[in-house]
Amino acid sequence: MGRTLTFRIFRFNPYDEDSVSRIQEYQLEEVPRLNIFNALNLIRDDQDPTLMFDFVCRAGICGSCAMMINGRPTLACRTLTSDFSSVIELFPLPFFKLLGDLSVDTGVWFREAAERLESWIHTDEEFSVNETEKRMDNELANKIYESDRCIECGCCIAGCATANVYPDFLGAAGLNRIGRFMIDPRDERSNETWFELVSTYEGIFGCIGMMACEDVCPKSLPLLDTFAKVRRLMLGTGLSGKK
Amino acid sequence: MSQVKTELYPRAVRGGGKESGAYANARRVLIAEIISGGTGLILAIFIMGHLVLESSILLGKDTYDSVAGLLEKTLPIAQVLVFIITIAFFFHFVYASRKIPGKLSSRRKMMELGLSIKKSKGRWSQPKSDIEHKRHLETSLWIWQVRTGMTVLALGAFHLFLVMWNIFTTMGFAGEAGLAAKISTSRVESGLWILYLVLGIAVTAHFAIGLYRLAVKWVPDIWLKRKTAYIICNMLFWLFLILNIAAVMGFTGKLSLL
Repeated sequence: MGRTLTFRIFRFNPYDEDSVSRIQEYQLEEVPRLNIFNALNLIRDDQDPTLMFDFVCRAGICGSCAMMINGRPTLACRTLTSDFSSVIELFPLPFFKLLGDLSVDTGVWFREAAERLESWIHTDEEFSVNETEKRMDNELANKIYESDRCIECGCCIAGCATANVYPDFLGAAGLNRIGRFMIDPRDERSNETWFELVSTYEGIFGCIGMMACEDVCPKSLPLLDTFAKVRRLMLGTGLSGKK
Repeated sequence: MSQVKTELYPRAVRGGGKESGAYANARRVLIAEIISGGTGLILAIFIMGHLVLESSILLGKDTYDSVAGLLEKTLPIAQVLVFIITIAFFFHFVYASRKIPGKLSSRRKMMELGLSIKKSKGRWSQPKSDIEHKRHLETSLWIWQVRTGMTVLALGAFHLFLVMWNIFTTMGFAGEAGLAAKISTSRVESGLWILYLVLGIAVTAHFAIGLYRLAVKWVPDIWLKRKTAYIICNMLFWLFLILNIAAVMGFTGKLSLL
């Protein structure tokens, strides 16, 4: 038999007036290849049906199960209990709106960020269903894909000290998204438009450069490269843009 | 039927052009970033030169005096530089401190989060998960940059004033004006060695962290790996820390390489 794990889980229901924030302990027998997500399901099934947490895909694709695991924001479904000593501490992600226990609302923030960044292809070209798709250079397609791999789990925002202090800051997820559209040739926005959008304290120059986002990103996105590229483009545009 | 209207994806709201207020604002933000980073780079390069030249005291007072004479009498570099550096110093303070959160509770929050992620490395004993568990020091390191920055602001301002005073007047130390081993030694021996030691440690830590941050911000990983930048800046820190301590000991006459 495996070890007996102790889970110390943050409990609080903001919608229940009688609820008091507290740490509750649960014991669980460890089985081989047990991950945090499965462990939480076992606890909910056998011990406490009121425990709240999010999950959808179980495979690190949906980004729902992000939480603070032993002090670090990461995905519960891709973290094995064998990584830890027998005590595991679980907290909800900071920054986002708490829905209850380990469940937070990342969706509203990401939708708002997408609207602020207008993260869709801006083009005057009429879309025609009958035409074949335009070809794109494979190298460029791969570059765009690297930024597109973001699953919007919110780990980078939760781990970002700047975002936690300045709630308007777009954070790594937002800046990564804008970096993706900058290199997309189908987006017809000019460098001047990008400049207005990103050369702000909410955008790239609010970033202090502590890079917690890159260190905690469960998908290992090349955030540092993307930000450096965005910064240098902003520098070039801003300096050449003299009237 | 063939043409699909794409009103789901409206035109850009922004894009007022170069005359717009948003554009002017974006330019202001960029210029602030350039000033804070640029003055930081200038000051970092200056301080490295400063520490190297100053440690010529370790090769004896005559070597120090000839280096000082070269910088002061052959060419009036010191007299000009002290003003330039003072201006850069205060510009750097004003522009680099704009990102420090004003509230103590905010700074505490940052430190708490930084330490939480830093310490999590020790709480993950057997990394068998798919997710790579990278080390993260920099959030708490940045708080140290703020702390050392404030130390440098206080002690550095005093030091700059003292140097200006000593370069242009005979009042004060050793009854002479200018740069000379005699004046520097009497400054250090008058009990100010503690100031120079603390200032030296703070300024070394501050510029090493600052250079690393500049590298992280502007240089992509494919040119200079973040890890390499970290190692280089770490080495710079230890090198100049030792050099600085040795120089202070040199001024008090406790250490000499000759």
